[in-house]
Amino acid sequence: MSREGAETTPRVPVKIEEALAAAAMALICLITFANVVVRYFTDESFAFTEEFSVFLLVVLAFVGASAAVVRNSHIRVSFFVERMSPRRAFVAELAVMAVTFVLFAAIAGFGVGLVADDVRFETTSPGIGVPQWLYSMWLPVLGAAVAARVLGRIVRLWRGRG
Amino acid sequence: MLLGGGLLLFGGFVALLALGAPLAVALGATGALVILTAHLGIMALPTNVYGGIAKYPLLALPVFILAGMVFERAGVALRIVRFTSSLVGSRRGAQGVVAILVCMLLGGISGSGPADAAAVAMVMIPGMAKQGYPPAFSASLIAAAGSTAILIPPSIAFIVYSVLVPQASVPALFAGGLFPGLLAGLALVVPVLVLSVRHGWGAQAADERVPVWRSFREAIWGLAAPAIILGGLRSGYFTPTEAAVVAVFYGLFVGVVIYRSLDARAIYRVLVESAEISAVVMIIIALASVFAHAGNTLGAFDAFARLLIGLTSDEVAMLAVITVMILVAGMLLDGISIFLVFLPILMPIAKTFGWDPVWFGVLLTMNIAIGQFTPPMAVNLMVTARIAGVSMEATVRWVFWLVLAMLVAMLLVAAFPALVLWLPKAMGF
Repeated sequence: MSREGAETTPRVPVKIEEALAAAAMALICLITFANVVVRYFTDESFAFTEEFSVFLLVVLAFVGASAAVVRNSHIRVSFFVERMSPRRAFVAELAVMAVTFVLFAAIAGFGVGLVADDVRFETTSPGIGVPQWLYSMWLPVLGAAVAARVLGRIVRLWRGRG
Repeated sequence: MLLGGGLLLFGGFVALLALGAPLAVALGATGALVILTAHLGIMALPTNVYGGIAKYPLLALPVFILAGMVFERAGVALRIVRFTSSLVGSRRGAQGVVAILVCMLLGGISGSGPADAAAVAMVMIPGMAKQGYPPAFSASLIAAAGSTAILIPPSIAFIVYSVLVPQASVPALFAGGLFPGLLAGLALVVPVLVLSVRHGWGAQAADERVPVWRSFREAIWGLAAPAIILGGLRSGYFTPTEAAVVAVFYGLFVGVVIYRSLDARAIYRVLVESAEISAVVMIIIALASVFAHAGNTLGAFDAFARLLIGLTSDEVAMLAVITVMILVAGMLLDGISIFLVFLPILMPIAKTFGWDPVWFGVLLTMNIAIGQFTPPMAVNLMVTARIAGVSMEATVRWVFWLVLAMLVAMLLVAAFPALVLWLPKAMGF
């Protein structure tokens, strides 16, 4: 159910997330395919690239989730909300979006602590052996990006009320 | 602390979900709140979010979604329909049986029910209407047959189950789902033939018949895909993720070089759309692991499971309770979300009764497959009804028979675990 105001286009185009998500998907396929081809011809395996593919999976999940906030395409149960009065449904939507914002802000905030731990304990990645913070630093960045999209949606909802 | 925390966990989750919160948020927010209030260590929030997604087996999920979409956009469904129709010709119920077969074949390429059902519905419903099948029936049938996609390997549902229940490997689940998937599809043939004969559907001749050989030459590229995917897995040469990637490149080759139906723009759109569909599922998985961490550390899931076991210690009664629970949940949620919500509670129960994790996974998936086309909240039926231009209510009188047929197939699988377990054992998984 699309509600008035919720579907107006955001000022920051969602094309950014689209391009990043497509790039992550394409890279995952290329790396895995290259792995199959190399193993076929040389008996060598660069399975250690797994950790990079798995990192790309995290990127894919967050940028895609960010786009899904704009498009309102996250999986949710609309059964009860559709039976509320428009005013109640509006309040419920605002409340739910506020919770969503706090959650992703918390992921970003405590994610900084995770990165700090990785730096302090000089954790290295299991496969390639690079510092783990090179990967984990993107969790707060991506979490904050989703939180910003949620905030944008709250603002558009509020402006479009009436 | 267990009681308060447990109430907060389950109560908060249900309340948020009812208010229309995205499932991922309902899981993550209550999980984080319980972790905070019960002092379980808040760093579990970022750790579980990252660790919940960063798993090698999960890589297969977006890639199989991509593979299914590449084949759909390349026009594989259309050519397989043409070939199977030219084989069976026009007699009563023939097109109905073709619809089932095509859905099952496509299920061997794609791993998600709604995508499979949409592809077949768009190609077949107009032609079936010309032969006298009511659109509401065609929509019901394709929704039901499309649901076998999550049983016939490859399957997104099995990948998610395996990520949550690592004792059940993806290859073992794929092999275990094959016979139940075929059985579910064949079970649908019975009501289709009975209804077609009684109502005289399909007696009218089709417009023009494509020569068998020519349609075969076009369809062979699509027909070969399940063989490549399953063959690669069977030989043990590919991991599931690698098999999915090989399927993607094969699909691109067919779409770009053979059928010339995909250009650069179409490929970019396929990448974007499959990435976004996958992301919506994966963010739920990430935040469900926060919820699971809170529930497990608190002991809330075990307590809830003990509560259920306390109700009945009879195996059959427990299976019936679980089936009803999943069917009711299936009216509100899609299949993969049901796994993520219920598995933490169901696994301790399965362990208590000593159920095989592969058999239990296949049985639950079959249950979920039925939920995908049981009104009122049926993801597959919503898609096919929209394409057929009929209301969900109009399908009820037809879809009832199909639900019944597949329930019988599910009872067989529940009663004879060998239907699931024989193939994985024979293949050595």
